[in-house]
Amino acid sequence: MDAGLLAQYVMNGLMLGMMYALVAVGFTLFFGVLDVIKFSHGDVLTVGAFAALASYVGLRMLGLNSNWLELVVMLVVAILAMAFLGMAIARYLVMPLRSAPALNTLLITLMLGTVLRESVRLFYPQGANPKPFPALLPRASIDLGEFNLRLDNVLMLTAGVLVIVGIQYLLNRTKLGLAIRAVAQDEETARTMGINFTAIVLVTFALGSGLAAFAGVMNGLYYNEINFGIGLYLGVVGFSAAIIGGLGSIYGAILGGFLFAGLQTIGTVMLPFASAYKDVFAFAVVIAIMAWRPTGLIREKISERV
Amino acid sequence: MSTTPKFAALIAALVLGVAAGAADAKDKVKVGFIGPLTGGVSVNGLGGRNSADLAVRLRNADPKSKYEYEMVVLDDECKPNVAVQVATKMAADKDIIAGATHYCSVTAIATVDTYHKFGFPVIVWGAVLPDITYRNKYDEVHRVNGTMINQNDANAELVSKLGYKTVAVIHDTTDYGKGHNEYFSKALAKIGQAKIVGTFGVTADQQDFTAELTKIKALNPDVIYFGGLTPIGVRIRSQMDKLGIKAAFDGTSGIVSDAYIQGLGPLAEGTLAFREGAPTEKLPGGKFFMEKYSAQKYDNPPEAYGPFAYAAMDMILDTIEKVGPDRKKVIADLANVKDRDSIVGKITFDDHGQNTVPVITKYVVQDGKFVEWDDSEYASGKRKLPGQK
Amino acid sequence: MAGKGHTTVWPGIAGLVIATGYLIAMLGAEKQNLIIILLAAGIVAVLAAAWLGLLEAVSASFVEHEDALAVCAIGAACAVGVVFHENHFVLLLMITVLLYSVATLGLNVQFGYAGVLNFAGASFFGIGAYTSAVLNAYTAVPHLLVLLVGGLLAAFVGSLLLLPVLRTRGHYAAVVTIAFALLFKTFLEVNDVLGGPQGLQVKGMRILGWSFNDNIEVGKISLSFYMNYFVLSLLLLVGAFVLVRRLERSWIGLNLDALRLDETAAGCFGLDIVRWKITAFLIGNFLIGIAGALFGMVGGFVAPNNYTFADSLILVSILLLGGIGNPWGLMVATIIVVVLPEKLQTIQEYRFLLYALMVIAVLLFRPEGLLPRPVRRYFPGWRP
Repeated sequence: MDAGLLAQYVMNGLMLGMMYALVAVGFTLFFGVLDVIKFSHGDVLTVGAFAALASYVGLRMLGLNSNWLELVVMLVVAILAMAFLGMAIARYLVMPLRSAPALNTLLITLMLGTVLRESVRLFYPQGANPKPFPALLPRASIDLGEFNLRLDNVLMLTAGVLVIVGIQYLLNRTKLGLAIRAVAQDEETARTMGINFTAIVLVTFALGSGLAAFAGVMNGLYYNEINFGIGLYLGVVGFSAAIIGGLGSIYGAILGGFLFAGLQTIGTVMLPFASAYKDVFAFAVVIAIMAWRPTGLIREKISERV
Repeated sequence: MSTTPKFAALIAALVLGVAAGAADAKDKVKVGFIGPLTGGVSVNGLGGRNSADLAVRLRNADPKSKYEYEMVVLDDECKPNVAVQVATKMAADKDIIAGATHYCSVTAIATVDTYHKFGFPVIVWGAVLPDITYRNKYDEVHRVNGTMINQNDANAELVSKLGYKTVAVIHDTTDYGKGHNEYFSKALAKIGQAKIVGTFGVTADQQDFTAELTKIKALNPDVIYFGGLTPIGVRIRSQMDKLGIKAAFDGTSGIVSDAYIQGLGPLAEGTLAFREGAPTEKLPGGKFFMEKYSAQKYDNPPEAYGPFAYAAMDMILDTIEKVGPDRKKVIADLANVKDRDSIVGKITFDDHGQNTVPVITKYVVQDGKFVEWDDSEYASGKRKLPGQK
Repeated sequence: MAGKGHTTVWPGIAGLVIATGYLIAMLGAEKQNLIIILLAAGIVAVLAAAWLGLLEAVSASFVEHEDALAVCAIGAACAVGVVFHENHFVLLLMITVLLYSVATLGLNVQFGYAGVLNFAGASFFGIGAYTSAVLNAYTAVPHLLVLLVGGLLAAFVGSLLLLPVLRTRGHYAAVVTIAFALLFKTFLEVNDVLGGPQGLQVKGMRILGWSFNDNIEVGKISLSFYMNYFVLSLLLLVGAFVLVRRLERSWIGLNLDALRLDETAAGCFGLDIVRWKITAFLIGNFLIGIAGALFGMVGGFVAPNNYTFADSLILVSILLLGGIGNPWGLMVATIIVVVLPEKLQTIQEYRFLLYALMVIAVLLFRPEGLLPRPVRRYFPGWRP
């Protein structure tokens, strides 16, 4: 295969992987602090993308015209709004169900996802249509043989890496991160050490949901189109990625995200008869990985209480 | 929650509607409408519903009409399974006399057997797959719009005329996309100028096409032909740009909707598309239709197939006025439709209930609008499509 | 739950009669405002009954006199069938309820008893349905046997997942079945042999020359052809119910309970965990597959979109709504989940939203489901 073409595939895979990884990190964070799966995560991403789009439209009406300023405002609005939404979800839907079976949380957040998705469709103006998302990043590109290297893709990848590094720093190097990790490890001990459990849970949900908003904006910038259904698929894939990586491990989530994107890309390139089988291939490998490593690639440190 | 006031309003409206209906002395007759009201192509469904609704409203406002009509609306979600379910529901309800049904070919082809089983007369208002009327010879099934065969002939002809040599085909893997692929390939082969260098089947809800498009990029075609509906059409066109693919984008009737242009903005420029029938403003009753439609202040525009939905519903109402609310008589009467006037022009059903629509409109997107090809600056040579000779 | 006093069969019968009457009214209601009034009345009535403690009496009565009330419930189902004997659509709806109940009973064996999560219920349902599509079209296999083959095939395909399912737990196990559900749907979509996204037509059932797809004329009364399927589905449900109940009450059920509640402890007491998990998983998929095979013939049409992950979730939500482990609760929940969105068709685009909000409300205010599983009774009349 042509080297340029190969580079193009790698680039496609990296962009997909970055988005999957960002979503997967959110799942892992929530699972860490509360041992719950919050399935509305993908739809929070959708709402985040639409919030960003709405603020863009608002700015346009105000007559602002600087791409960078618009981008910053969109990101801030989307991330803050989703952080609040995340906290509200944690406070009013997830925490009240703590004593109920874990499956209930899964179902209630799933239904919430439906509510969010349907609300975007019904209440955002013409929400059922695919919406154009502005291309705010510089669109310069270099043609290297078959490979079209675009500046905006490079910027997005860099931003994604920075965000992940930032999260990593936050979790491992700050007091807040220490508290989050403490709660994740053992809620009761953390409480007795004077950590405000509820506050930490809320902060974590805010963090994860903000990440989803970031991923949503990135998704919009990458595809230049958003629709009310984007979160559904990204949510499921992000969840699978978090699981194959190993729940509770942020590295696992990142690994899982890129692995899944890699599988899809490899599926397209390698399967000669039909690229359509790429998802069949990717999910089959996921199942095989689960059979091989039942608690994910990076094993969760759990001790079974007997 | 912001849903509450809407619900309250909805319920109030329903109660009022029923109360208003009760006060009237005319006999009530139910007719049906099925289209995709939710999901990716819901704009077309809503446009069709509004147009059919318009036909019913105008009829009810007409003092000369013999009956008071009520339109039962069901949502097929553009999914064959749901369509079979709602079609069963509608056809099984003996009070509903006839229906204007389906925008999506996948749903229309799945339900024809159901309509036949229950003896329920329908007029298809938007689906273009030939098999819907031609696979079987069911007396119950009719169609006011044309089939995809003619539009693909016109498509292949234009592509060849513009001097393009290589075409890559992307189609969705439903019967709709496969049909387009089949008829377009045939038509192109018949002319024999351009050849197809690659064919890619994609699922109708796919998000990322970079992998397929990278393969296409390596093939370096002059044209990418797309057989599918608006949602993935928008995605494919914008991802083509991401990968720096310069080929012309050539679509079908499935992307002729305002949503396509809204979804792409300036990127939509130069997209080709084809549709049976004349454009709404050039239809015999186009002006009348647009005036009445905007007077009702619907939330959505009628979209490309709205006039057909109106014509289908209007024909059903005409027939019921003529022979009374009886399914068998309606079917018998619809068997003899010849040169019947309608807003989309004269309608004639052949022995399969298919209206012969001779005109195919060629469209190109110019300055954010679907413009007729012959009137466009692309045809006059003022602008050029990518790779146009 | 079970109080000190002796409970008679009457509260159960009264509850059943009221519920059946309500169901018939709801199914028969056409006018949208009437449906909404009925719905509101129903919710108020249930809340009031719960507040007055009447629901407790009903469920206690069900625990005490299950067999008698089960017979009454069959009678109630028949009553619904008789009332709507001519109405195609209501019968189809009821058939859907019956067959979904069979499928959720299967899920109940897996999750409610053995604790094995299955998020691919709709996929196994689909395997059954596709089996009948293919076998009815290309072979002369007797149609009753097709049902059995559908079940066996579902169990067989399920057994391919056994290794990962057995090795994983909790959320990790969930992802195995989720991945399978997504894989299954994509596979059907890209696979042309099975009709692709367009799906396949399914020939109707025919037993010994009796075509299930013809309307029945008995003297002057004409019955909808769906009556055939209705009766068969009811028989299937009764069979599945008896099987599941026997299973639950037997030592197998006891073993399954033990391993669900504490796998490690169960293992320490010498229970063969792997064996019982396999048993439960296969039996569950078998039931789901049979229901799917019959449903394929009823609908006359199968398509990948019928068997998506979202549909699997609907099955799981029935399980949770009804109360995990309680077959009676499951049936009530199935009725709600199947009938309600259908009846709300006229509010069109808002119905998914409303449905999701209602499930959220139930989970928030009644997290253990509508009818939670009562404490195990080791022999009739025994109270803990």
